[in-house]
Order: sequence, then C-alpha cells, then structure tokens
Amino acid sequence: MAEAWVLATSVAGLPGLVQVASGAGPVTVVAVGQRALADAASAAAGAVRVLWVETSADVPAEAVAGGLADLAQQDPPRLVLATAAPAARALLGAVAARVGAAVLGGVREVRAEGAALVVERVALDGAVLETVRTAAPLAGVVAAGAGEMSGPGAPGTSGTPVPGVPVDRVELAPADLRVVERRDAAGGGGVTDADRVVSVGRGVRARADLDLVGQLTAALGAELACSMPVADDLGWVPKERYVGRSGQQISPRLYLALGISGMPQHMEGVRGARVVAAVNSDPQAPIFRHADYGVVGDLYEVVPALVAALRS
Amino acid sequence: MRVVAVYSWARDVTGAVVLADGTVDWRRGRMAPGEDDHAAVAVAQALAGDAGAVVGLTVGDADPSWALARGVGEALRVTDVPPFADEAATAAALAAGVRHLAGDAPVDVVVIGDAEEHPGVGVTLAAQLGLPVLAGVVAAAADAGRVEVTRRVDGVDERVSAPVPVVLVVAAQAAETKAPGMKELLAARKRAVSTVGAAELGIDLADAVTTEARRRPELTGAELFTGDPTDAARQLLAALRSEGVL
Repeated sequence: MAEAWVLATSVAGLPGLVQVASGAGPVTVVAVGQRALADAASAAAGAVRVLWVETSADVPAEAVAGGLADLAQQDPPRLVLATAAPAARALLGAVAARVGAAVLGGVREVRAEGAALVVERVALDGAVLETVRTAAPLAGVVAAGAGEMSGPGAPGTSGTPVPGVPVDRVELAPADLRVVERRDAAGGGGVTDADRVVSVGRGVRARADLDLVGQLTAALGAELACSMPVADDLGWVPKERYVGRSGQQISPRLYLALGISGMPQHMEGVRGARVVAAVNSDPQAPIFRHADYGVVGDLYEVVPALVAALRS
Repeated sequence: MRVVAVYSWARDVTGAVVLADGTVDWRRGRMAPGEDDHAAVAVAQALAGDAGAVVGLTVGDADPSWALARGVGEALRVTDVPPFADEAATAAALAAGVRHLAGDAPVDVVVIGDAEEHPGVGVTLAAQLGLPVLAGVVAAAADAGRVEVTRRVDGVDERVSAPVPVVLVVAAQAAETKAPGMKELLAARKRAVSTVGAAELGIDLADAVTTEARRRPELTGAELFTGDPTDAARQLLAALRSEGVL
C-alpha cells in the first residue's frame, strides 16, 4: 500500500497539506493543473514524489476525477488529503469512493498507529477538537491553516531553495466537463489589498450613519467593506466591497467588524486576516468566536470613542 | 429535468453545546436543514423549471416537510440513518436513496448543500453514484441537455458546463431571506412523504470512525472588552497596537 497522497489543484495551502499528510508516511503529491503547480509541489518540503496530471485551461480539474480514482486503485494510498477547494474535494471524493476510504473534514493532524490512523480534527464550527481513529484508508479535508508553521523553518517560506523531487507526468482521459468562461472577479475598490479594513453589517441602523463609520476609517487609514445584506439588500455600500463567501476574500492585517453577527458565509471572506476585531452589542454573536478581540457594546457609542481615542 | 434535492442530512451544529470537559450535548439532536440547503433547493428548482420536477431526499429523523414548504412536490425519507462521523457512510445512505428514486424515473441532477462542517459528503455521494461532480456552485441553469454552473474560486468567477447526470454541491451565498409562512408550512405537513428503511435499500450502515476524545480548543473566541465604551475602545486600541496592526 502506498503511504499518503496529497491532491492539489492549486498552490494555496499546499505546504501545510504535505506536512499534515507526512504523519502517515512518505507523501506523494498529485498535482492536477498547470506546470507551475507541479513545480511548486516538487519544491514542497516533505514530498517524495509528484504525479502531474496536466489539464488545459478549458478543462476543470474535476474532469480527471474518474481517471485519478483508477490510478489510486492500482496502489491504494492509506491516506488521501486535500484542501476544501471545490476541485480538490471532487478528486478526493472520487478516490475515497474507489478505495473504500472513510471520509472526514476538519483534519489538523494525522499519525499512523500500526494499521490504524489517528486524526486530530476540529468540529462543530471550531467549538470542539476531536481525536478519532479509523482503519486505513482515510480521505480527509484539512482544516484551513492546518500544518502551517510560521517562522524560517516553515515549508515553502524558507529563503533556501529546496531541492525538487521528481515529477512524473501522468496522462488521464478527462470527462466531458468544460470551462465556458473564467474571469477575475470584480475588483474590490481598494478593499482587496488594504492593510486595514473596517466593515459594517446590519447593526448599522441607517445609511446616514456610514458618515460616523467614515470618521473611523479616516482615523485608521482603513478601507470600508460590508457584509452581504448591506450591499445586496440595502445598497448602502457598493457590491464590490462586500466580504464573504460569494464576495471579496481579503487578507488585511486588521479587519474590524462593526455590527456584523459573523455568519459562516461572511467569515469565509476574512480567513486570511491577521487580526480580526469586532464591535457588537450581543455578547453571544458568533463573530466573537472567530475574532481575536471584541468590544461588547453599542457601536454608536464605541465608534465615536474609538475615533476620539485615535485622534487624541 | 428531474432533479433530486438532498436536504437535512446532518445535525445542526448550532444545536450542540460543548461542555467544559469536551462532552458534546446535543440540545437539538435531530437531523436539520443545513445552512446551504435553501440554496440547494433553489438551484434544483431553477434547473427543473416548469416542465421538470424536484424530488426531495432526506434521511434519519429529519422533518421532510421543510423542503415541501419550499415548493418541492414530493419527498423520500430514508429512515434509520443515524448521524455518522464517517462522511462516506452518510454519502452511502444518500446514494442508496438516490438510486431508489432513480428506480422510478431517471434522475438528471442531484443537488446537495456544500456544508462546511461536512465537506466530503457531496463529493463522495457523487463518486459512489459514479457521476461527475462540481462543488462550490452558487447558481445553475439547464442548457441544451447539459447543465451550466456558476461559481467563484480563488477570486475567479467561473462558468462550467457539465453533461447530465451530474451532482452539484451548492454553497449558499447568504442565509435564507424568504422563509415560508405558516400557510406553506401547514400545507407541507399534509403532503405525502414516502419512507424506506435503510435495510430495504440493502445498505450496510457502519461507522468506520471512532471518536476517542473530545476537548474544547484552548482559545475559544475573542478577548472581550466590556463596560464603559471609552475604556473599552482604549483597551481595544491598546491590544491592536500591541499586535502591530495600527
């Protein structure tokens, strides 16, 4: 039995994936996409082999899911991991079903104990950490940020070039899936590359109150963003500034959420933020589970206090 | 098109309370609609159009009327399916339900919510059915015997065309805005729901995953500042300065 497979359709999260997978043994990265992805996989610390399936620009990675399952069946891996990226998950499901693997999400660590695999995973929207055991094989979707270390020792961040591992090209016949159109999502009007972002939700009661928020963005040198209802239902903020699963996905150093409850759809847009702070009158608001800092209070009192403190 | 909309196939995570010792207390332990299920039903209805049909599929102790109140004409519930830790087992129960429905008439599309908590169910369901799958879908339209889906991946808007039959894993863009009223809810409860036992479908329901321990994460949420707004604002700014983000 082969040891561990990592299924990659983009470079995002790849070093962390390889690191988590290495807990079950030597890691083969299966890279489905363009040459640059195969090269990145080859340089990922911890990988011992790369299988590269080239796909053309008008064929989505999902098209080779069946072929990949056939390949996995020849020498079934005991562990298969992917990120939550839609295409990577499609490949994971195909391999899992073919080799009869158990399937788990939220995977943070894997270790082999004899024939079994022991997994540390996050569940219930981050509210609990579980230790689970399964007989191999296992297919896992890793939790966001799993396996990523900070500092100079982190895979893929070192200034020292890592000698690449061999890339073996594999031809797989694609299924009849076609990319009809692919274009960059609308620009975020400065939100996407801002260092600091102040974002408003339904806790703001009137459009005119955005003037108050404007004083805070000016004092912080921040861009204004919002949750989806503020752009979509109310139209108070241009749509290209709304942050969330279907809106902008941003990575500012500071994300300050005002009157935003913190629904999962919204929080997906700020996963890359370094520090998340929130102001909300409801101490039970979900956003406080995701934020680093929070002020429980009326934003109509807290925002002027923030502006005054920043100006003094 | 004949579309199967899968819903209420897991418990609602907001119905669980994690106690200090890590024990999970399910205050609401029934299978319940997931946060993406309303979007999955909407995509199913868009694909079926006026000429087609949407059939609901749910499992375990879920209330099948949830989809019926949202305009779905009929539903099948596969009974005696418990919540599984192993998402492949959940997918197997759902796949058996889809096969059962396909015994009546061909199924063109299967739609299921793209639940963050259970990211492997939809894609594994597709593979167990031997069908292609597209996940992260936000909208879909029927187009000359095929299906064209829209999604956003890594800041890129994508339209992908797929043949039928196909499985679409649908991600909601927001919480449901137009919940059905009392009239629809009452009417839905009167509609016929078929049920079939897992044993009748010939599926062996076993969980391949054993949970050995649970604990609360060390950091649970934000460092909170409360009380006087001026003090709280100053404390927040001090914290942000110490993080080096101001």
